[in-house]
Amino acid sequence: MHRGDKGRGRRLATTLASASVVLGALTMGAGALGGAASAATPFKACVVTDTGGINDKSFNASAWKGLQDAKKKFPSMKITYLSSQSSSDYVPNINNFVHQGCGIIVTVGFLMDQATAAAANAHPSQKFAIVDDAPKTKSHNVLALQYETDQGGFLGGMLAAGMTKTGTVATYGGMNFPAVTLYMNGFVAGVRYYDKTYGYKVKALGWTPAKGACSLATCNGTGSFIGNFTDQTAGKQMTTNFFSQGADIVFPVAGSVGLGSIAAAQQAGKGHSVMWVDSNGCIADAADCSWMVGTVAKGVESSVMNAVLSAARGTFKGGTYLGTLKNNGTALEYGGIPAPAALKAKIAKAKAGIIAGRISVNPNSYPAS
Amino acid sequence: MSEAPEVTRRLSWRRLYSSRPVAVTIFALVLGLFVGALVIVTTTAAVLTSWRHVFSSPTSIGHAIKITADTVGAAYRAMFTGSILSPGQFWHSVTTGQGWEQTATPLSETLTYATPLIITSIGVGIAFQTGLFNIGANGQAVLGGVLGAMVGSMLHMPMFLHLPLTLACGFLGGALAGLVPGLLKAYTGAHEVIVTIMFNYVIYAFLLFSVLSTPFQLPGQQNDISRTIDPSAQLPPLFGVASGLRVNYGIVVAALVVLFAWWFLERSSLGFDFRVTGANPTAARASGINAKVVIVLVFLISGGLSGLAGIVQAASTTHYIDGGFLIGNAGIGFTAITVALLGRNRPGGIVWSSLLFAALGVGGRSMQATTGIPLDLASVIQSAIVLFVATPVLVKEIFRLRTAPVATLELATKGWGS
Repeated sequence: MHRGDKGRGRRLATTLASASVVLGALTMGAGALGGAASAATPFKACVVTDTGGINDKSFNASAWKGLQDAKKKFPSMKITYLSSQSSSDYVPNINNFVHQGCGIIVTVGFLMDQATAAAANAHPSQKFAIVDDAPKTKSHNVLALQYETDQGGFLGGMLAAGMTKTGTVATYGGMNFPAVTLYMNGFVAGVRYYDKTYGYKVKALGWTPAKGACSLATCNGTGSFIGNFTDQTAGKQMTTNFFSQGADIVFPVAGSVGLGSIAAAQQAGKGHSVMWVDSNGCIADAADCSWMVGTVAKGVESSVMNAVLSAARGTFKGGTYLGTLKNNGTALEYGGIPAPAALKAKIAKAKAGIIAGRISVNPNSYPAS
Repeated sequence: MSEAPEVTRRLSWRRLYSSRPVAVTIFALVLGLFVGALVIVTTTAAVLTSWRHVFSSPTSIGHAIKITADTVGAAYRAMFTGSILSPGQFWHSVTTGQGWEQTATPLSETLTYATPLIITSIGVGIAFQTGLFNIGANGQAVLGGVLGAMVGSMLHMPMFLHLPLTLACGFLGGALAGLVPGLLKAYTGAHEVIVTIMFNYVIYAFLLFSVLSTPFQLPGQQNDISRTIDPSAQLPPLFGVASGLRVNYGIVVAALVVLFAWWFLERSSLGFDFRVTGANPTAARASGINAKVVIVLVFLISGGLSGLAGIVQAASTTHYIDGGFLIGNAGIGFTAITVALLGRNRPGGIVWSSLLFAALGVGGRSMQATTGIPLDLASVIQSAIVLFVATPVLVKEIFRLRTAPVATLELATKGWGS
């Protein structure tokens, strides 16, 4: 080795070593100062996401958006999140936020049910809101946010039935959970209602309801499922199969798997379209808006925002929030493919009927076609 | 090197400041933290903005340095206080006698996180020492968790029977998952890396099937979630449920595994056969060691320990299994490979590297919660440390370490197969 090399190496070593010493000193020095200065902090809203993380363009993203919206209305609020990498992270993530003194902790999804209930029990003064779940053990400090998505799905089914040219529409789910199948059940009910009321014979593929009513706790039936919420290739395959069975509008209830359906519609060409789910597809995925007839939306953002704001303003109450058509907790939003005004009027009429309780969203109330 | 040998031995700093494995690892940690700091600096908008201003007004350089140091300092401080101890909180507890739960939580979390990692990494390390790559540790842990949780949730008996039986079934499940690749390797020559990787997917599919099928699925549920493990088969918290600390008796299991592994590798004749096979398979065969038996046995033990880790994880923290059990980022079986390499496949080394990885993971969470810097930074630091450990020559050159007195600059593994 040359002398020059050696000198340069030593200089690099010295630089690195001194840099790390300086960094270390600053870290520890700042630590000594910052250790006790945690009193009198502003209101803090915290969300523990499921494994999807805050960028899943669906569920977890909507919850985080709810916090961001709340911050806009309450600017002194601090918002923060923790992503769970697996179900074993739920408890430590929630505990982390409890120890940080969060004003409210929002947890996302039925899988966090047990962890949330246990933490709420152990910390009675800590406020919680859980999205899309109702813990079995009720606590005064937990607000369960639930959505009767079969009402929105019903309107989606009517829209699809009114827009189809082939007389066949289809739906499929990510996995066979009530949170998913409730949408599909409402969709089928909407198609059947449209057929019965307006004398059509539109067929709905992909979901066969079982006898009895569907609820958020149980929603039985048989149907087409991908088995996860991530495999877009499987979603494309499934959608292409539906197209070959004569369907021209497909309603995927499977989060980002729906992008596979969009790809299938693009491949099949004009006349094939998709109904989006959860959050308005023309905003979440604006580039593909022209392939969407509409979105069956779930009001996660607004309900999370309201829960956070109520905690920040001291009006928080535990219990259950039920999202319906009436309070915009679920809704039908029109997409990039324009719907005729007459159809929109029929849908508006049905919406009023559902809100008034005159129209049932149970598919068994109508004859199958 | 003209000093007398006894002088060298007396001066411990000189001994440390040489390219021994321990020194290389410690300096790799320093370099890893440095790389992490670079990532923080180059991805935090506030820091970048402050440096941009330096171009227009050079006097603001002091401000830029302050912002940089504050950002990096806050991140690493959160990591430290979140995984080991918060000095402010500790002082609060000492002076007021209150809040001890919160003071002990970071350390308790690190130990909880490290427990299954130690057990799996020991299993992977034993296979490495025998010259075999067990990339299937994750699948083995999953199968161990499933089988153990089945016994733990569907059979009912007193604790002194139930808990040992549950743990034993976890071991059995992992051993079963290890046995197949072991037999295929020993008797057909199928490469263990390929077979164990593929076997992971078979087991993931079985996991999903089992938590969605009737006896094991939580009754009244359509979700992919299992029954809850009976309290009599759970590993209870060390300081009781009321303490709020999650550190549990799994750590006793991990300690026993470490002791067993040390005895097995260093003192038992079978362990000696394993190590000889790993060091030189030809010599092992020539001296009468039955390579086939060794391969099958090592996969049984390695798989069994991974399975034990799986059930320890399920029986100590979540008490149930879902379709995402140990899958994706939570795959401790994959983390265990790097942990074993970092610990040079020795039980003692593995304990330290598991604790380090656990602290980085737990501290990363608290860093994300307080500073908003993503948890993924912890993975960056972990990976950088492993990279530097795998290239001791680089570390040696950067820090101008002396050459070690004896040739301890060994390779952690030899690479694929053999």
